[in-house]
Amino acid sequence: MTRRRHAVAAVALSFGLVVAASLQSKPVPFPQAHSTMVRPQVTFNRDVAPILFRYCAGCHRPGEAGPFPLLTYKDAVSHARQIAAVTQSKFMPPWLPEPGDFKLADELRLSDRQIELIAKWVEGGAMEGAASDLPPHPNFVEGWQIGRPDLIIKAEKPCLLPAKGTDQYWNFIFRTPVNQTRWLKAMEIRPGDKRVVHHANVLVDRMQSARLQESSPGAGFAGMELKIESEAFDPDSHFLFWKPGTVPYTEPDGMALRLDAGTDLVLNIHLQPSGKQEWIQPSLGLYFTDRPAKRFPMLVQLDNDRKIDIPPGVKDFIVTDEFTVPEEVELLAIYPHAHYLGRDLRAFATYPDGMKKSLIHIPQWNLNWQAVYRYAMPVDLPKGTVVSMRYSYDNSDENPLNPNDPPKRVTAGNSSSDEMAHLWLQLLPRGASSEANDPRRVLQEAMARHNVEKNPADFEARYNLAAMLQARGELSEAMKHYELALQLRPEDATANNAFAAAYIAASHPDEAIKYLAAALRSRPDYFDAHYNLGTALAIQGDFKGAVEHFRAAVRLNPQDANAEANLGGALAETGNWKEARAHLVRALAIDPNNTLARENLEQVRRESAHDNE
Amino acid sequence: MYIDSHVFRRVSLARLAIAAVLMLYVSILPIAAGQQALDLGGSPKDPLKEAPGKVVVLVFVRTDCPISNRYAPLLQEMSVKYGRAAAFWLVFPDKNESPESIRSYLREFNYKLPALRDPEHVLVKKSGAKVTPEVVVFNLRRDLVYHGRIDNLYRDLGKARRTATTHELADAIEAASQGVAPPSAAAEGVGCFISDLK
Repeated sequence: MTRRRHAVAAVALSFGLVVAASLQSKPVPFPQAHSTMVRPQVTFNRDVAPILFRYCAGCHRPGEAGPFPLLTYKDAVSHARQIAAVTQSKFMPPWLPEPGDFKLADELRLSDRQIELIAKWVEGGAMEGAASDLPPHPNFVEGWQIGRPDLIIKAEKPCLLPAKGTDQYWNFIFRTPVNQTRWLKAMEIRPGDKRVVHHANVLVDRMQSARLQESSPGAGFAGMELKIESEAFDPDSHFLFWKPGTVPYTEPDGMALRLDAGTDLVLNIHLQPSGKQEWIQPSLGLYFTDRPAKRFPMLVQLDNDRKIDIPPGVKDFIVTDEFTVPEEVELLAIYPHAHYLGRDLRAFATYPDGMKKSLIHIPQWNLNWQAVYRYAMPVDLPKGTVVSMRYSYDNSDENPLNPNDPPKRVTAGNSSSDEMAHLWLQLLPRGASSEANDPRRVLQEAMARHNVEKNPADFEARYNLAAMLQARGELSEAMKHYELALQLRPEDATANNAFAAAYIAASHPDEAIKYLAAALRSRPDYFDAHYNLGTALAIQGDFKGAVEHFRAAVRLNPQDANAEANLGGALAETGNWKEARAHLVRALAIDPNNTLARENLEQVRRESAHDNE
Repeated sequence: MYIDSHVFRRVSLARLAIAAVLMLYVSILPIAAGQQALDLGGSPKDPLKEAPGKVVVLVFVRTDCPISNRYAPLLQEMSVKYGRAAAFWLVFPDKNESPESIRSYLREFNYKLPALRDPEHVLVKKSGAKVTPEVVVFNLRRDLVYHGRIDNLYRDLGKARRTATTHELADAIEAASQGVAPPSAAAEGVGCFISDLK
């Protein structure tokens, strides 16, 4: 009997426990802090909401990159401890630079006081507080952030991000549908599902050079780092960068980016699998202005990839580079770049009077949160200022991002398990800009010389210096460097073509023909080389040969008025008036102002009339 | 005879007592139901009483936790690979997550695993789970033999390795299904705090 009574009592007891447990689980999710008696309690509405609205909700709202919204008390309280932990560890909000000598625009850094407030809120029970304390709900623009773009272009083909696996890097080529030169004042990058896109960069490809890497037109291609060929003098000038939560930057008047017909925009995108398969098909929104560029900033890159050879286990491998500014410039923005071993990234300006200031300091580099940082005010760098970079790499297994486990030797390269040491600067020369005396040329040439001195065996540095000298009309010095470049890479199509172009300019078409033949052996479909070879042969009087190569040029680029005009001219020289006329007319249809075509056409008309007499 | 009758009375008393117990349970049923994990139909379900002869794996997940989401393909694959040895359950400890939203989440992430809601954190407490994703392995006797991370893919929030190099869950299932202790009994997980879901 006693045993049975026990059973009943036990049931009653467990009943009591059930009630207690259900009460406990209801209203107060967090233990009350003892200190709430003495100081006013930290509440969501008064203290935490203003921080979340300003620093977090830009991404933590529906449709944006954050995995959950942080717009209401309910949103916040169901992540309260997590918010306290990630703000304390500075994982969130993602802002890598330390406060430095120059203020950056749109800083997304919480103050120590704000971080402490959040922690106190959680300790104090994550209370909601008085409704009257809640600040107005933040107003976010839906869709395109700065209004409807003048032109929207969508990637031709989507790329498939698998459900699982490692990070993916993909390049989309956007063929710009403009048929005349336009001026771009802003671009919005809509990367697709923002939850899987870490960052995206657009590079301007004026020579359609990235297309060569596509397996079929519009297919895009994989790859983390991208190289764009550019003409001898047409430096990139703007950062076109997207990271979660950013509103596109509108260039000030007179600093628009030139967008020509036939220019490709290459979007390089970093994707992280989310657990489900995603199709990524980004769009670009282009905003034009009628005001052409009057001020020309330029992107300059410090780097020292050649010095990257990091033994496994080394925790503080240092890579440096420095560049003396050859004329007064304003530094508008800065973009440090390393891969997963980068740890502490710094850049400095040492002024001619010896004073040294920090341009940026990232103590805990994380590639996933890389960004272009714009200065709140341009930083003046007088002539003779030395800009330097000092990057530290951690190739030990204590680096949580080390792609190799166990660590292994790492050298420079384009894949994510290789390393890089790059520091991009957007510089605006102070001097007046004119076609003849463009201060960007001075900057670019100084940078090219710096690179050649840094690494005499660097083909690209050598080639770039040569190309710049050629553009400045320093033919003989240019040819010296082309020759050295070709010793490093005898089969390089671009260098062979450029060297040949210099020979043509120096009135040595015979020499040019040899190098053009080499260029075409490496790249049979090389428009420039066919065009130049046509020119060289024509100069030598071999018009039949010239016609053959101008025809190839026209086939490769049917929209090039000069190629049509030259083809017409060469055909005329062979007596083929009828076809000559057709190509000259076609050249004028492409570009009614093409002087060469007009002159050739007039001459063809005169001479064919003369022949007919 | 007296002895018999005595015995009879005791039995009837005992029956009364049992009746009282039943009545008590009936009266507290709505609360008692909240004290158990629920399947998506809303019925109480104790995963430890299911699948005898198999190891039980509870996987704590949250629909808005990017880290647990990223594990979806691996968990699905493992549940198939170890289907003979282990019964996998997804456990959603967020009481605000409705069965409908969980169903659409399972479809979205291609999950074929059975899912449980654990609004009162009965399984959370039984398992000692701290974050999502976290796994708990119960052996054939239903002793808890492993709890913690699935593998070491994440070193910290936002800091993932290229691929995992240790595979604690797989090791635990293989050991437990063979009746031996897993190589490690616990390994701290990285993810979203379950304590925010009280």
